Amino acid sequence: MIKNSSTTPRHSATGAVDTAPVWQLLRRNISVWQLAGYAVANMVGLAIIVTALMFYTDATTTAGASEAADPFFSSSFEVISKEVEGIGLTPASFTPAEIADIKAQPWARRVGEFTPSRFTVNASVDLGARGMSSYLFMESIPDEFFDVRPRRWGFDPQDPFIPVIISKEYLALYNFGFAAPQGLPQLSEEVMQTVPMTFTLSGSDGLRASIAGGIAGFSSRMNTIAVPQSFMDWANSRFAPGEEALPPSRLIVEADPMLTDSMDAYLADHDLETSADRSDAGTGRIARFSAIAGGVVSAIGAVISLLAVAILFLSIYLILQKSRSRLERLMLLGYSPREVGRPLGRLLAGVNGAVALAAIFIMIIARTMWRPALAGLDLGGASLIPPVCVAIAFAVVITGANIATLRRHLGRLWWGD
Amino acid sequence: MTERITLHNLLPRVFEGMQADEAISRSEIWLSRSVTFDRGCRVSIEAESGGGKSSLLAFIYGSRRDYSGTILFDSTDARTLTVDGWCGLRRRSLALLPQEMRLFGELTVMENICLKNNLTGCKSRAQIAEMLDRLGIADKAYEPAGRLSIGQQQRVAAIRAVCQPFDFLLLDEPVSHLDARHNREVGALFDEEARAHGAGIITTTVGHNLLLDTLTTIRL
Repeated sequence: MIKNSSTTPRHSATGAVDTAPVWQLLRRNISVWQLAGYAVANMVGLAIIVTALMFYTDATTTAGASEAADPFFSSSFEVISKEVEGIGLTPASFTPAEIADIKAQPWARRVGEFTPSRFTVNASVDLGARGMSSYLFMESIPDEFFDVRPRRWGFDPQDPFIPVIISKEYLALYNFGFAAPQGLPQLSEEVMQTVPMTFTLSGSDGLRASIAGGIAGFSSRMNTIAVPQSFMDWANSRFAPGEEALPPSRLIVEADPMLTDSMDAYLADHDLETSADRSDAGTGRIARFSAIAGGVVSAIGAVISLLAVAILFLSIYLILQKSRSRLERLMLLGYSPREVGRPLGRLLAGVNGAVALAAIFIMIIARTMWRPALAGLDLGGASLIPPVCVAIAFAVVITGANIATLRRHLGRLWWGD
Repeated sequence: MTERITLHNLLPRVFEGMQADEAISRSEIWLSRSVTFDRGCRVSIEAESGGGKSSLLAFIYGSRRDYSGTILFDSTDARTLTVDGWCGLRRRSLALLPQEMRLFGELTVMENICLKNNLTGCKSRAQIAEMLDRLGIADKAYEPAGRLSIGQQQRVAAIRAVCQPFDFLLLDEPVSHLDARHNREVGALFDEEARAHGAGIITTTVGHNLLLDTLTTIRL
């Protein structure tokens, strides 16, 4: 007699066919070693791709949410001006057409204009017993071009205080070139930022005003004495009313580090020169190197992954070839190509999904190794979303291609083509 | 539900150019203007070996398309059916017992039968067990089908064939390896199942007939 007399057929209530018996039949033709070989190879390739991508995005993202938008490493900032020949009686400035042309260049991500002051400035400093005063100049550029973001950056005419960013070179010049021989104390950046200053502004019509201020930060990007754009706009309209704005004589350009060659050629063609202190050129080169290294490593990962995927497709063909007779018999019973292919499709989706998850896991582990080093450079903290999306998209695309191959092959088998 | 299968001028491609041959010209099916099998019929198609019996059933079942002429399921041309259309027919209208059985030798008898029954949900496991008992192979239910004798495999294939609703039961030499007693038992099972569904039986033979009283013989 029959041992098992259960009365329920394995046909789901939803009408979907239970493909478990199909799987039991087909799994006999699936080589675990082939699939494992594919999985390991693809995991290595995909892990390399997403890890390289993660490293690149980490290395080009400044740490800290407030400064995350500052592409310090990924860009090269150049201050450009026209060459001055002989004694330039006419200021070498840029016309609107020239500025528009520079903005249109592929290497110019952003272009900012230096706004010069149209008033005279006298700054006085009280250093205890010894006071100092000097005529100065001031310039401003749009805030987004600064490599530092002091806390009190900005200007409020109701509560006037002029924050100033000066070049780090100026402090170095004072400390090492001036203070020591003169017997004056050397000063740190922190001390300098506590020194109260008074700026006396004089307009062309005799209007004078003294406004408190101070050094708010030091920039290694710009060789100037910079004030907030909002202050410059306010002061120019107040102390030089009605005067036409001078055309900018210097521009700051955020350049694509990958296109510095074409930028250099453009500057040479147009008799333009960059600032002597190209402090960011190094970081631009680092960014360029990172991009190239990241690209090469990603390409290696992509080649490994593509080879792995080729192995997978060969495995699928092999499985289908070995299962041909079984598949034909199943379809003769009334199973559709879709139902026959479903268990294999699920297996492939599972393997590809697991490979993607493993690659993401490896990337996260690898990231813990470079994070401390990048944190020391004030870098890191990039979002995990792009590399994770790449891994998931890879799994989805490969699975989609696998299933399409399965269906095409099974369709041909059905019609006996 | 399919009420009628009609064949118009049907001829296997392999017979093309042989229309004048006596075997073809005397055939009651090949190149006949119209041959109709109605639901509820009991037809035995007789021919010599190589006469195209298996081909005829394969054409009707849709597993081969190398023929000229037309096969109609009611008014639907078989050539216009999609994969889903054929799957629907194979699950609800056409049941086939192939000559070579096409069992999975590595699966047990019960697994082989359930592979079909899972698709249709037609029989309960108890009903399947009862049929196995009736055909004398209950003790083989959990044996791999490959270990059974050909005659036993033929009985397993017979049970598998009726584990679905059908309008036509296509049997390709269904009792070629059975003795008279099992032939009669299998014939009775087919007849009962066909009656339950109001279905027709189209069987082929080279001389070892299915023992069923009501069969009308057609010469292929």
